[in-house]
Amino acid sequence: MRKVSRGWVITIVLISLMSLIFLAPTFAGDNLPSWWSKVFPSKGIRLGLDLKGGIFLLLGVQVDDSVELELNSISEIIKNDLTKSKALIKSSNINGSSLTLNFYSKDDLDKALTAANDNFSNVASISANDLNLRIQLNSDYIKELKSNALSQVKQVIENRVADFGLIEPSIQTTGDDRILIQVPGASQTDRERIVDLIRKTAVLEFKIVNAAGITEDVILQGQGVTSKEELAAKDLKIHPGETGNQNENYFLTEDKAKVTGESISDARISFDNFGRPAVLFRFKGDGAANFGELTGENIGQRLAIVLDGNVKSAPVVNDKITYEGTITGTFTPEEAKDLALVLRSGSLPVPVAVEQERSVGPSLGQDSIDKGRLSMIVGGILVILFMIYFYRLQGVVADIALLLNMLFIMGFLSAFGVTLTLPGIAGLVLTLGMAVDGNIIIFERIKEELNIGKSPLAAIEAGYSRSLWTILDANITTLLTALILFWFGTGPVKGFAATLSIGIISTVFSNVIVARLITNYFYRDKEISTVSI
Amino acid sequence: MEIFKLNTTYDFISKFPGAVKLSIFLIVISLGSLFYHGGPNWGVEFTGGTELQVKFPQGPEVQFIKQSLAGQGYEAEAVQQFGLASDHEYLISFSPKVVSFDQIQDFKQKLNEVIGTTPEFAEAQIQRIDYIGPKIGKELVQKAVLSILLACVGILIYLVFRFELGFAVGAVIALFHDTIITLGAISIMDKEFTLAIVAALLTVIGYSVNDTIVIFDRIRENMAKSLQKNFGTIVNEGISQTLSRTILTGVTVFIVLIPLFFLGGSVIHDFAFTLIVGVLIGTYSSIFVASSFVVYWRKRKAAAAVQDS
Repeated sequence: MRKVSRGWVITIVLISLMSLIFLAPTFAGDNLPSWWSKVFPSKGIRLGLDLKGGIFLLLGVQVDDSVELELNSISEIIKNDLTKSKALIKSSNINGSSLTLNFYSKDDLDKALTAANDNFSNVASISANDLNLRIQLNSDYIKELKSNALSQVKQVIENRVADFGLIEPSIQTTGDDRILIQVPGASQTDRERIVDLIRKTAVLEFKIVNAAGITEDVILQGQGVTSKEELAAKDLKIHPGETGNQNENYFLTEDKAKVTGESISDARISFDNFGRPAVLFRFKGDGAANFGELTGENIGQRLAIVLDGNVKSAPVVNDKITYEGTITGTFTPEEAKDLALVLRSGSLPVPVAVEQERSVGPSLGQDSIDKGRLSMIVGGILVILFMIYFYRLQGVVADIALLLNMLFIMGFLSAFGVTLTLPGIAGLVLTLGMAVDGNIIIFERIKEELNIGKSPLAAIEAGYSRSLWTILDANITTLLTALILFWFGTGPVKGFAATLSIGIISTVFSNVIVARLITNYFYRDKEISTVSI
Repeated sequence: MEIFKLNTTYDFISKFPGAVKLSIFLIVISLGSLFYHGGPNWGVEFTGGTELQVKFPQGPEVQFIKQSLAGQGYEAEAVQQFGLASDHEYLISFSPKVVSFDQIQDFKQKLNEVIGTTPEFAEAQIQRIDYIGPKIGKELVQKAVLSILLACVGILIYLVFRFELGFAVGAVIALFHDTIITLGAISIMDKEFTLAIVAALLTVIGYSVNDTIVIFDRIRENMAKSLQKNFGTIVNEGISQTLSRTILTGVTVFIVLIPLFFLGGSVIHDFAFTLIVGVLIGTYSSIFVASSFVVYWRKRKAAAAVQDS
């Protein structure tokens, strides 16, 4: 039993070395040579926002809207098809995931049925009765639409946040309709801008202005109608104006825009003739041609630049413009910069809403880290002294095993990229408690075995082997719990479970293998008469 | 070094009836306090709303903070001291009706104005802002409860497999016992039930099960060794033999927890408090709840066997 297994020694040394390598960035920080990060990809232990400070945002993405959008576009495609064959839709109605089109004649319905079958038979079930055409989207297709919407939103937000120049923002989708954004180290002033940036739908439209007025009523009267619905029937729409001109609080424009921000290839901050911040944008491909057509046909008219439903500016078209244009208005430089950014990154296909926010000021974060570290160091030193005081040489064994255990756990945490949060620290405290407990179980057992008259070596042997199943039972139960919590839990529960799982595995290893090996090393080649315990 | 004489068997069994009374008493008080306070003092994570953590240079009265905010039209749901009294930190929470997400920016400006114009608040700092939408809170509670219950089922199954049903049930009863009493202590101290407390409760559950299993394991080992012995004696011996370990481990965990409690900062303070209560109760319950239930279970089984024959 006093053999010190070479295989295990090598294994332990290797694991220790790897842990040190993974941990190096945590302790050395910027002092590491530049080649280090190229050779070893680990970034060290990542601290959660609750410890480090920063912004955590959980966005709810209204993916259900993507179904309606799709049905709208299906309706539009059929309508266009029918216009070619001179048929008319009487009315259309969207209900959940189905679209119902109503027709004046059987003939029109048949034409629509053919058009629908040609285009959408693979994504929807299509049926006709009376003068109604019903298009019901398949459930698989709905799922696809929603997941596409989610990943598109994620893509757009990623682009926006990446351009904002923040350090290590993390953007993940969670569940079917949520996006989690974490920005470590972001300050409170960053917060407002990030929130605005992320939530901005950024739908840009270019529409010819029919009229402008102080109130909506003035515009309605001008058209000789009494409600917005009547306007909509005439393919007209009222937008609030944000041009800064008091006489133009509202604009009347066409309902559907011929050119939208989708065909923008680039946008950046510029300045208008008065030196005020503005946004310069460029079109690509078809967009340029369409914009050229729109401006060419409307020289002398006013063109409204509508962002998220609000008219930002409405310059008079002096000439045919194809490639680029400017949005002026009452922007601060930051606003202009952020607007250019969201225009570059495209619009959100469906709206998002903030469901949860946590922003931790850097002072609290630093405070938490400092105090947490201090209290853990104090606790750790006390435990180490207590073990030596109580168990003498075996206490030293336990302490070495404990320190190695800590090293392994930290190494694993860095290697797997687990983010350490406050609940994670809770998991670590439990792990360390169990690690010390493992040693105490073994040592108390050795004492008992000595007490019933076994020789020192036999007592050590029996102490370790008889405690094995106790330690395994206790740890397997805990590991089982941790794994269940990891699968089913969310957020903090998951963080707790992650560190606990890693901790338990490492703890069993250090209790059963490492501590044993060190004990064997101390008592190698010696005929001993007493155990220092 | 020994704290308890080896080879000495203490009589725990005779204390079991008294322990049952004590446990029932503690559970009644805990449930009473929870009932009186209308359930745990749910943090904003669970109820939805906006919560601020603010640090003041000196500690103003809770009532004063409330009134100053109400004067600005922001009626706080609760203002609570957080961490140690000397930290002068407060959690101020608002229902989503008072401060919705879109109002946070506006609210912050107003708050900074209040801080600027009220001498008692000079140099106060907003350290953390949490906003939780109403949907998320419900989901968090559901998922946390579901995962804890599933974990209990997992523990039960493993213990049935490794020991026998009576032991498994005993361990799970002890676990619920510890959770309820710890919750009771949090409720009596009127501490806010936050996600950090959930993590602490999970830790308490882990510790409680670990502690129970070590004792059970020794009882089982003794059962195999001395079949002819009275079961009560076997349990007494098992607990006595592991008593040093039980106490030493408890003490070691305390050594870690005490610095966390006093030095860990406001967030960790409540967390450490929960653990300290939980570890005390967990240690007690391994001996006096889990083991005593196993004795009771065995007795009933033996009585049933006698009746059958």
